[in-house]
Amino acid sequence: MSETTSLVAEVRERGGKGAARATRREDKIPAVIYGGKEEPLMVALDRNALTLTVNKGNFTSKLCTLDIKGKQHQVLPRDVQIHPVTDAPVHVDFLRVTAGTQISVMVPMVFTDHEASPGLKKGGVLNVVRHEVEFICRADSIPEKFTKSLAGLEIGDSIHISHIDLPDGVHPAIRNRDFTIATIAPPTTQEEVARPVAAAEAAPAAGAAVAAPGAAPGAAKAAPGAAKKAEPAKK
Amino acid sequence: MLSPKRTKYRKAHKGRIHGLAKGGTTLNFGSFGLKAVTPGRVNAREIEAARRAITRHMKRAGRVWIRIFPDVPVSRKPAEVRMGSGKGAPEFWMCRVKPGRIMFEVDGVPANVAKEAFELGAAKLSVQTRIVARAA
Repeated sequence: MSETTSLVAEVRERGGKGAARATRREDKIPAVIYGGKEEPLMVALDRNALTLTVNKGNFTSKLCTLDIKGKQHQVLPRDVQIHPVTDAPVHVDFLRVTAGTQISVMVPMVFTDHEASPGLKKGGVLNVVRHEVEFICRADSIPEKFTKSLAGLEIGDSIHISHIDLPDGVHPAIRNRDFTIATIAPPTTQEEVARPVAAAEAAPAAGAAVAAPGAAPGAAKAAPGAAKKAEPAKK
Repeated sequence: MLSPKRTKYRKAHKGRIHGLAKGGTTLNFGSFGLKAVTPGRVNAREIEAARRAITRHMKRAGRVWIRIFPDVPVSRKPAEVRMGSGKGAPEFWMCRVKPGRIMFEVDGVPANVAKEAFELGAAKLSVQTRIVARAA
């Protein structure tokens, strides 16, 4: 069961773009609480407190207690909008939950015992296909994380969801296949990275004259057609 | 160097780079990333130089992902040619990068190695960058 976070919020009256921007100018982050068969409630959170909580990680997989005018609201952060450049939170969606509510939640996967993996010792790389996996569980029993040991894994080995020990009442949202979570990939070699160059050189042979700039950037200077065309302009 | 295998048209308009990146702004593959904070045209040579700097500093350990692709042909007129008489010949490939775009990602190396590698890689690029890491 993951720990819960607590934040203080205040109700905001006006919705929309202008009001949300005005809230941000006051060093607050607009948010909304919805669900639980109640009317949505627009709130504002303190910027610093929210940023610190979000930066701790796993914000959307921990229950949160919002203190609004002394009344406690049990919520689950469903979405955090992040500014594309600064990575600062811009808006948060909260879902009202009760203890028995079934929810889908993203749970982080953690890999341990890197030193005990012969594949990684040989220079292999842990290629994490899914850093987080979507699970369906009760709101009061959200797993904090799932840990998987890499001991004994060779290059080419994979970890699937069936290799993870799941507690009762927790099951993955994808149930129709045994999907991959991570693989031990071979190290990136010079041959591998040189492949795009070889592809670019092969392209003109395939009839694509457009690939010429990539293959020979200086070709235009020697192009007789270009000089011939430019000649009448000199007269 | 990266370049398209085939394209529909040989030459492209110059274009302008407005606004912020709409996608590719969060880490998808690795634990560390290099994010553009200014708009710019990053050409194939810059991408290749940055990739080499990053992989060589990592001593070919770990893994590197390149999340931009130079798919816009840039044309140039030859030297000492008067204006007019049509558009010049395609010279190189570039990609338009908007602020917020993750250009490179790495994984499988310690944080300090990733940071140093990105500092060397960022020096090869014509846009200002910031190093980002996955939240703990």
